[in-house]
Amino acid sequence: MITGWFWVDVIIKVVLVLAVMIVLALVAIYAELKVMAHMQNRIGPYYAGGRWGWAQPFADALKFIQKEDLVPAGADSVIFKSAPYVVVSATVATFVVIPFSPSLVARNLDLGVYFLLAISSLTTLGVLMAGWSSANKYSLMGGLRAGAQLIAYELPLVLTVVAVVVQAGTMSLVGIVEAQAAPIEIGGLSISLPFLLKGQIVGFLIFVVAAVAELSRIPFDMPIAESELTMGYLTEYSSLRFTMFFLGEYAAMISMSAIAATLFLGGYWMPFVPDSALTFVGPMILIAKIAILVFFMLWIRSTWPRLREDQLQDLAWRWLIPISLANILVIAFFKVVVF
Amino acid sequence: MNDQPDATTALDVYGTGLAERLGGRAVVEHDTVRIYIDRSDWVETLRRARDEEGLAFFSWLAGIDWSKDVEVGDTVEDLDDLEERFEVMCRLSSIENADGAQFIAELPKDDPVIDSITSLFGGAEWHEREAHDMFGIEFAGNPNLTPIYLPEGFIGHPLLKSYPLLAREVKPWPGAVDVEDMPEEES
Amino acid sequence: MSTDYEALMHRSEVAVSVELQTQDMTLNIGPQHPSTHGVLRLVANVDGERITGVEPAIGYMHRGYEKLAEVRTYAQMTALVNRIDWVSGFASEVPFIVGVEKLTGIEPPPRAQWIRLILTELFRISSHIVFTSSYPLELGGVTPLFHALRERERVLEIIEAMTGGRFHPNFNRVGGIKPAAGGGKTQKQVSMDIPEGWLEDVKAAMERVLQATDDSDTLVTGNELIKQRTVGVGCIPADKAIEYGLSGPNLRASGVAYDLRKHEFHLPYDQVEFDVISGQDGDCYDRYWVRLQEIRESVKIVLQAIDKIPAGPLRAKAPRVLKVPKGQVYVRGENPKGEFGYYIISEGGQKPYRLKIRSTSFSNLSILPWVLKGALVPDLVAIMGSLDFVLGDVDR
Repeated sequence: MITGWFWVDVIIKVVLVLAVMIVLALVAIYAELKVMAHMQNRIGPYYAGGRWGWAQPFADALKFIQKEDLVPAGADSVIFKSAPYVVVSATVATFVVIPFSPSLVARNLDLGVYFLLAISSLTTLGVLMAGWSSANKYSLMGGLRAGAQLIAYELPLVLTVVAVVVQAGTMSLVGIVEAQAAPIEIGGLSISLPFLLKGQIVGFLIFVVAAVAELSRIPFDMPIAESELTMGYLTEYSSLRFTMFFLGEYAAMISMSAIAATLFLGGYWMPFVPDSALTFVGPMILIAKIAILVFFMLWIRSTWPRLREDQLQDLAWRWLIPISLANILVIAFFKVVVF
Repeated sequence: MNDQPDATTALDVYGTGLAERLGGRAVVEHDTVRIYIDRSDWVETLRRARDEEGLAFFSWLAGIDWSKDVEVGDTVEDLDDLEERFEVMCRLSSIENADGAQFIAELPKDDPVIDSITSLFGGAEWHEREAHDMFGIEFAGNPNLTPIYLPEGFIGHPLLKSYPLLAREVKPWPGAVDVEDMPEEES
Repeated sequence: MSTDYEALMHRSEVAVSVELQTQDMTLNIGPQHPSTHGVLRLVANVDGERITGVEPAIGYMHRGYEKLAEVRTYAQMTALVNRIDWVSGFASEVPFIVGVEKLTGIEPPPRAQWIRLILTELFRISSHIVFTSSYPLELGGVTPLFHALRERERVLEIIEAMTGGRFHPNFNRVGGIKPAAGGGKTQKQVSMDIPEGWLEDVKAAMERVLQATDDSDTLVTGNELIKQRTVGVGCIPADKAIEYGLSGPNLRASGVAYDLRKHEFHLPYDQVEFDVISGQDGDCYDRYWVRLQEIRESVKIVLQAIDKIPAGPLRAKAPRVLKVPKGQVYVRGENPKGEFGYYIISEGGQKPYRLKIRSTSFSNLSILPWVLKGALVPDLVAIMGSLDFVLGDVDR
């Protein structure tokens, strides 16, 4: 409770969540431009806003917003116009439960993890809406590929998260971080480890792969597949709607990294940081972890080509799902029998 | 490179031998072997060239328009010597060595039909379509004799000598313009 | 060749267990599309992701070279023929000028022939670098392009230092090559020969090119994802390749070790040592790999040729107004893309009577309907890219 009145609180929280999301998304866009540029032996944005080109994302956003808003003649305009809103609102909603510190969380739901997974799968619906309603064969193909891919990769995502919930014993995100912060006895020493080091390494890797696939980033960007389908399901979008998809994609990247950091890397907590300092240092710790994961995603994007659709499905159904099921079994066994 | 008209090179021997075995008339000049055959033997001779003589690589197929009705370019010194005809030229070459020959069949202007060799070489389909587009030569048996280069609705066959070049109608050829000195003019 | 081509042809066979009775979709790929190498239009019948038939529609770039040749003198035509296949400019000029030289009987001096050889190989390196860097781009890997094209800049710089042009050198003259600097009625000729320090620059550039090739090798060739996308995709058996007139690296990737540089000696290739690189299966990966290795072979040739250039004049005497005697000649050369030839029919004037251009990409592209039957849409992009064609060459 920040102020006494419920609705004022709600409005303040909504504004803060949106602000955090947009700022982090813009930073992610800038990071992508610069990181990819340096990996490709060039400089990247240089002029916009001074020497480092930091104003480039703002310039890009403004440029997109002032473009002409086109709706194709044969498109189903209600669905066409509402698809970006579906995607963006689902992404914004995931920021509601992410804890930046024990008290700095918009709403600490007891079913935090469940809420996250359910809401983030609404983006699939938005993508299918965009692909179908565009009245364009390339968009249709992109949308169908997206549908198949996003559904296939939901499963490993959910299953690895289930393993974490089993180990933590709670679905609340703050509770999961505290379960990682709780010390365990090893040979007389009491230390606290993030779940990554407490047996979840396989889960972490599968989660990252599934998250990159959920975000439709290279190597899993068949739905967009620039060199084949022009822009896939985004082909017919311009101006503000495209900006929403664009920002939504980077916001989703931040949100997925935040979830991975919270579930596997310890979130806002780090060893040797006293609890009293967590309120101030916590957000910085979480953002540092998010930055590492985002850098990793950008690194993969500049290096690897994309997988073909059937190879992608192969990877999900024949490899990731069986392994994540086995992961749950192993974790549950250790949780019940050993610890 | 400089063959005197009387010397018989290895290529001469190859050319005449090839013409004898396949049944045609050989002309060998400037390191190029040309075999003139009858258009009724077209498919059969090329099949034998492919199977028996080892010339299995289909290089290209083109048409040539020998015509006195020249609209553009004064490219012939003595027009009276010229016989009016179409020629279809196909080049086959070998995959193991540098052997190769041009096979030429003559078609009369009023009946420019010849058999298609797509049954022997799949790649001939596109080349025959091009020759059909450019000259109007009919290839009997080509599965897809539709325009390949020209847009739909184009009237005429551009590479015929009688097809006018619009740019030359508007402005006649200015003549050869040289900017460089020849080597013998250096001081 | 005992490999089972039917089994190899599309390893991407995905079994569909439920056969839905749906209509095929006609998808128009191009003429404006990120992946077609120019204005090419493919009318594809697509069943979901599987292509059931493809009909290429070409001719968007038909410039009428053969008709144009009938109204241009041989010297004027030299300026135009390097624009047919614009990535390998000089290599397209050489067979034409050699044909004219054969018809007129003017022989180029050895120094000119060696310099022609070096320039042809430099353009081959340039063209293959363009291919090896832009091919991963079609598959989604955006980075190799930047690293490799930087080194291609070095090659283009030395070509420009020698000929004055990066892409369209227009450097051949009947009887030899153009004197390097100066020239013309208004400017006194400064030097009649190759620029100073050029040979050292070439050596340095070759070092950079080898470095870039090794980088590409590390980044791309061993990459598991690239292999998954290209191995077993678009297999062209050797007999089909020969039947369709595929040449150059496409033919050699299918296992036929035929390189025109070992058979045609209007340039002194018999005096340099190099290997003919050939692949095995004729799939996309082999076509990529053959071109990558050919860069190394070309570097070898250039480094040998630099030491072997004899002294002498750059051009033999040729008449100012060139009248070519009556005759017909066919000269072919090994373009970076394959066999590139000119059939010149001269009836004794200043201009050719008929010039037939055997353009490599026209034949290379003609196999596309055959090889794409039954492929997936992403494979279409991979296969088309691996054939390495240029629309100017296809359409002439």
